[in-house]
Amino acid sequence: MKTLFKKESPQNHTIIKKAFLLFCFSVSLFATAQDQYIAGMKKAMALWDEDKITEAANLFERIAMAEEDNWIPYYFVAQVNTVSSFGLKDEAVLTQRLEKAKEFVDIAKRLSPDNAEILVLEAMINTAWITYDGATYGMTLSGKNTQLYNKAMALAPDNPRVVFSKANWDMGTARFFGKDPAPYCKDVEKALELFATFESDIPFYPNWGADRAKQVLEECKS
Amino acid sequence: MKNQIVLLAALMIPWFSSAQTQVNGIVTDKSGNPISGANVYLEGTYDGASTVADGSFYFETSESGTNTLVISVLGYEPHYEMGEIGYFKNLNIVLVEAINQLTGVTLSAGTFEAGDNSKVSVLKPLDIVTTAGVAGDFVAALQTLPGTTTVNEDGRLFVRGGAAGETQVFIDGLRVFQPFNATANNVPTRGRFSPFLFKGITFSTGGYSAEYGQALSSVLLLNTTDVPDQEKTDISAMSVGGGLGHTEIWGDASLSFNTQYINLSPYETLIPSTQGMRWNSPFESIAGEAIFRLRGDKSIFKLYTGFNYANFDIEQEDINFEDFVRFRLRNNNLYYNSTYKHFFDNDWTLNVGGSISWDTNDIGLLENTIATTETASHVKLKVKKTFNRRFTVNVGTEVFNVDYEETFTAPDGFTFDNNFDDLLWAGFMEGDIFFSNDFALKLGGRVEHTSVLEEFTFSPRLSLAYKSGKDSQFSLAYGDFYQNPLTEVLKFDQRLGLEKTTHYILNYQYLKNGKTFRVEGYYKDYDHLIKFDTELPQFDSQYTNEGFGYAAGLDVFWRDNKSVRDLDYWISYSYLDTERDFQNFSTAATPNFAPRHSFSLVTKYWVEKLKSQIGFTYNYASGRPYENPNTPGFLNERTKAFHNLSINWAYLIDQQKILYFSVNNVLGINNISGYQYANTPNADGIFDRRTITPPADSFFFVGFFWTISDDKKSNQLDNL
Repeated sequence: MKTLFKKESPQNHTIIKKAFLLFCFSVSLFATAQDQYIAGMKKAMALWDEDKITEAANLFERIAMAEEDNWIPYYFVAQVNTVSSFGLKDEAVLTQRLEKAKEFVDIAKRLSPDNAEILVLEAMINTAWITYDGATYGMTLSGKNTQLYNKAMALAPDNPRVVFSKANWDMGTARFFGKDPAPYCKDVEKALELFATFESDIPFYPNWGADRAKQVLEECKS
Repeated sequence: MKNQIVLLAALMIPWFSSAQTQVNGIVTDKSGNPISGANVYLEGTYDGASTVADGSFYFETSESGTNTLVISVLGYEPHYEMGEIGYFKNLNIVLVEAINQLTGVTLSAGTFEAGDNSKVSVLKPLDIVTTAGVAGDFVAALQTLPGTTTVNEDGRLFVRGGAAGETQVFIDGLRVFQPFNATANNVPTRGRFSPFLFKGITFSTGGYSAEYGQALSSVLLLNTTDVPDQEKTDISAMSVGGGLGHTEIWGDASLSFNTQYINLSPYETLIPSTQGMRWNSPFESIAGEAIFRLRGDKSIFKLYTGFNYANFDIEQEDINFEDFVRFRLRNNNLYYNSTYKHFFDNDWTLNVGGSISWDTNDIGLLENTIATTETASHVKLKVKKTFNRRFTVNVGTEVFNVDYEETFTAPDGFTFDNNFDDLLWAGFMEGDIFFSNDFALKLGGRVEHTSVLEEFTFSPRLSLAYKSGKDSQFSLAYGDFYQNPLTEVLKFDQRLGLEKTTHYILNYQYLKNGKTFRVEGYYKDYDHLIKFDTELPQFDSQYTNEGFGYAAGLDVFWRDNKSVRDLDYWISYSYLDTERDFQNFSTAATPNFAPRHSFSLVTKYWVEKLKSQIGFTYNYASGRPYENPNTPGFLNERTKAFHNLSINWAYLIDQQKILYFSVNNVLGINNISGYQYANTPNADGIFDRRTITPPADSFFFVGFFWTISDDKKSNQLDNL
């Protein structure tokens, strides 16, 4: 480098041009990577919308593996696997999906520690287990869920998914013990207000929950 | 400038001249069946596709040069192909099934597990303690499983024709030297440990791993919780005492403790036990347990400690004495257990741990006193390595030390000392090999050397499992098991050899949708059992290793918690054919603790409207042998059959308060454990006898349990 700067133009001039070209190129490369990410994520979302669960999960996984340090695609691999496991009767398939979901949630947590969205998703995996077999998993996992929701609440008290998921969980528990779930309706209402204003500048930031919250609030009123 | 354009063009080539390369092929399993839904992609890129119904995949890529093609799908080991992009055409990829611990074959012969893992557990922790008739003693819950026999007046575990001393208990892999409360004859004991602090219980009725030894029949493995879920306080008030427990969490560290005070005086005042005994001072005990845990990034440290003080004074009927015979006992037991587990990279795990116990008894029998002190310790080091989830090796070494001292003092001042000091070394090695999800093998061996007997032993262990269908499997187990003679004998004679059994087990298991069916046949060959020539082991008895015996039987278990809504039940049946010549037997015979047929039915029903769980347990055992000196033959008479129906009712007052009520033997059936005959015949030449019955036919229990926790949801249902 020392020798480079000692030299006079036109050599110097050439170097600046070279650097400029390289800069342009790397920007274009970056832009291409970003475009590719957005295109890939959009395609995966579309596949998921079309109910092509496996294809969607596989594409999210390919993106996750290629991106490596972005928690978003890992989050979606976990979410697709979790959501699609609800209602499954085959324990082998259910276990595979939920273990996969847990694996990807764990990676997401490493990439983005103290992220309330990921904690809510982790609680959702536990809920899938409890829904499948309450007698086996209820005792051990419900305590964990309560802790996860409490931690998420402490991290992001104004995140609508956190507020809604916690309220929904509390209502379920109240119902299980034959209690009135009504006291938690106001939390659902609060969540809906938060849904209306919540924004994130991170592309593909999780945005689910508002519809379900409306549904739960309807049930509250009826 | 020209140069720059060339450079730019060169850099842009991969982007512009993206000669798309096709990648295609087919993915199948070992038998050639297509695998759909597999994710096939070039590592580090977005380029890839999912396989379709016929297992084929196709995609185009602009990558060039050497790449790695990854094929991954749930349930199979990931597959990697490395090579030039052009090479990835018409590929035939055969995936190998991943070993699945949940749906794959399990090495389960002889083993009952109660834990969080639903596949291998026959019982869940909750079940263990919500069983009617158990009254918080998890050992009593295990007695509803097949392979155990009901020996009502003892309370310990009698497994497959084995005596109670043939079962050993371990906490986190370390021996518990005195797992049961000290008690008097014919007064059943209880396990010292509350189920509160354990996440999993493994009860092996035979053919167990080479990691464990010094148990002829059975091992009971208790594992403490790694990380508690939340901070909470448990308060209990019971008709027989009270308890307090608390869990505190500080980041990665946590402490749980549990204390209990039991005093039978108020109960005995209200409903006295009158059958063949009277209390001078009813059973009183103070027990405390604490566990500290520290979790690191790759390690777990645990320190467990338990303290137990028990005291009682009882007078019992005895056919050979005019008056009742007085028996006083004061027991102190202190136990420490510490383990450290470290997870290294490359699937190596290191386990080190040690346990130590001090146990003292002050016994008063008639006018004599006996003071005993036992100091025992266990140190263990174990290394485990897992290769590719298919092959696991366990290697370890351990040392046990038992130092026993006893002083007998007669009223005239005569004293007599008995003691022994044993150092037992053992080494073990075992491999678990999963050939596929359908076939697995466990092969191991154990070497032991005991200083007191100066003897070396080698015990081979083998277990095989074959999955015969989607929901069923067959297992086979074989092993040799050695055990030192019990303290009662060893304290008088240290020139004896080890007792030995060989187990042969064949097991069939069917699991589907909350239904479990197991049937297990076994044969046990006993050899070198201790014999002596007096009524009870004494300092002047002649001891030999010439005893022998066998036990053969069939254990059947059925559980169903899905067919009827809110109803959970299990049925156990054990058939036992056993004879042995040991202790003071004159010939081989079926011992008193071995009824031929045992049956249990446990039911639990959740009544939503009452917010209550109502359960009942029925136990049956066919008549037990007893020796009648008035008739020819040895141990050839049978008592009447044993019946016990117990009920319990747990009512959730609210989410954190439970009212619990239970009655043991609600029908008040007079059960008979056996008979005691006089040492000498009466004037007519007949030996008189006395019926041995439980101190009381029925037992009532009322308790109130209150949990205070952050989530306001936990309760002590699992402690009942």
